[in-house]
Amino acid sequence: MNELSRAQIRDLMAQVLKNQDKELPADDAAQLREIGFRSLDFSELALRVEDETGEELNFDAPGLRRIATVGDVLDFLVELQHQ
Amino acid sequence: MTVATPGPVAATHPEPAGVDNRVVVGGVALTWRELPTPALPDPAAVLAHSAAHALAAARQHAVRGTELLLSTASRVDAAMRADLSEAGFAVTVLDDDGTHPSAPARPRAADPGRLWLLTSGSTGRPKRVGHTLDTLTTVRADQPERTWLCPYAPGTYAWWQVVTLSLTQPGQHLVVVEPDELDDWPAVAAAHGVDAASGTPTFWRRTLYRDAAALARVPLRQITLGGEPVDQAILDQLRDVFPTARISWIYASSEVGASIVVHDGRAGFPVDWLDRQAPGRPTLSVRDDELVVTSPFHGAGLAGPVRTGDRVQVVDGRVLITGRLDSDEINVGGSKVSAGVVRGVLTGHPTVAWARVTGRRAPVLGRMVVAEVVLTPADPSEPASADAGVPDEAALVRWCADRLPDHAVPRRIRVLTEIPVKETLKSDV
Repeated sequence: MNELSRAQIRDLMAQVLKNQDKELPADDAAQLREIGFRSLDFSELALRVEDETGEELNFDAPGLRRIATVGDVLDFLVELQHQ
Repeated sequence: MTVATPGPVAATHPEPAGVDNRVVVGGVALTWRELPTPALPDPAAVLAHSAAHALAAARQHAVRGTELLLSTASRVDAAMRADLSEAGFAVTVLDDDGTHPSAPARPRAADPGRLWLLTSGSTGRPKRVGHTLDTLTTVRADQPERTWLCPYAPGTYAWWQVVTLSLTQPGQHLVVVEPDELDDWPAVAAAHGVDAASGTPTFWRRTLYRDAAALARVPLRQITLGGEPVDQAILDQLRDVFPTARISWIYASSEVGASIVVHDGRAGFPVDWLDRQAPGRPTLSVRDDELVVTSPFHGAGLAGPVRTGDRVQVVDGRVLITGRLDSDEINVGGSKVSAGVVRGVLTGHPTVAWARVTGRRAPVLGRMVVAEVVLTPADPSEPASADAGVPDEAALVRWCADRLPDHAVPRRIRVLTEIPVKETLKSDV
C-alpha cells in the first residue's frame, strides 16, 4: 500500500514547522512543547500524511495515549497507517 | 403527446406593462408580445428546454394566469417529477415541437394566478414555495431604462426577479444567455447593449477570471450580486473594472423574497438596520447567529418571522451574511470557525480569484479548516514578475495566519485550475 516511512513522516513534520519558521530538531526525544508543535500542527501533519498516501487514517482506532515528544508523533502516525 | 402552439391568446389578464420591452434570446431580438404563448395544462410543472421556452411559459402565465411551476429538466429528477405528479401537476416538457404533458397522478383543480418556485435544494431536497407574479415583483419604483442580462437558470427566484422586472416595467429590456453561452456572455452582452447585469459572486468571479478585458467592454451601469454570500473582495474587484457603475448586492430567497438591498459597495449591511420596522419593508433580526426575516415579499404560508438558515456575524458595525448555518460553522476542537469569514480572508488576497472553505476530519481536534482556491491568471503584460507573484500554499497559510485566530487558519490549501460552478451559478462555497 501507499505507506509512508518514519523518515518520510519526519520530513512532513519538518515542513509543518518550517511553514511557521520553526525548526524540527534531529533528536526524537525533543519535547513538542519546547519546539512549539501543537494540536493544530499535529492535525495538519495527519492530513498531510493522508494527502501523501491518498488513504484515510482511522483516527478512532487507537486508544488514548500520551504524545509528548517528536518520536511519539512519528510512532503514532506510523502505527495509524496500519489500522 | 404533442400539442401544437395555438394562435392568438384568449387573454384573461391585461397585457403586462412591459410587453413591448425588447427580449434577446438565442441571439434573436423580439419583444415579450412577440413570444409564443403555448397552451399549457393547468396546473402545469413546465420543464423548459431552453431559455426561450422558459420566457414563453412566463409570458403565458402573465397573460392567462394558469397555475405554473417552471424549471428545467436537469433540475427536476425522476423522484421530483413523481412528487409533482402526485401534487396534481401535469409535468410538461416544453420544447421546439410544442408541449409534451403527462397526466397528473392525482388531478386537482388549479389555483388561478399561483406560481411555484423550487428552492435550490442546496440543503436537502428542493421544496415548493408558492408565489404569484405580484409577490415576485419586488421592484416597483420607476427605474432608469436598462438592458438586463439574465444568466440565471429558468424558474429560480433570481430568474423571476429579472423576468418580472422586464415584464412589469416599460424600458427594462432583457438579454438572456443559455447555459452553453455563459462563458462568453460578455461578447453577447456587449453586442446587445447590456448595461445592467445580475449574477452570483461565483458568476462574477468566473467572468473576471476568464476574461476581465471582455467584461470591461460591456458598458455596465448597474451590477447586482446575490444568491451567495457577497464578500468585500468581489465588490472591490468589480469596482476596479467599473468605477462609475452602481454596484448592489441583494439578499433574496424563495421563502422571504428580496429582503436586503445594499448599494454602498460594501459587504454586509449596517448594524442599525437590524430590528427596524417600516411599513411595506422587511424587518431583519438575528437570533442565535441566524438571520431572521419578516418580509412582505414572503412566499405563501410564510408570513411572520422566517428563520433563514443563514449565518450572520457582526464585524465593524456591519452585519455579514457568512453562509448557511449548517455548513458555515466548523467546530475545530471546540472553537467555532465561520467558513465565510475565512473565505473572505482568502479572497482578500490579491492573487486569489475564488475560494471554498470546509471542515475536514482530523485527529485530536475533530475537524480542521481546509480550503480550495483558484488563483488569478498571471498578467501576460508582466512576464518577468509573473512567477514571483504566484503564492504557494505556505504563503497563503501565512496570509491567513496574519488575519485569523490560529484555529481558523486553513492548514491545507489546494489550488484548482478552474472555478467550479453549478447550474444555479453557485459553487457551494
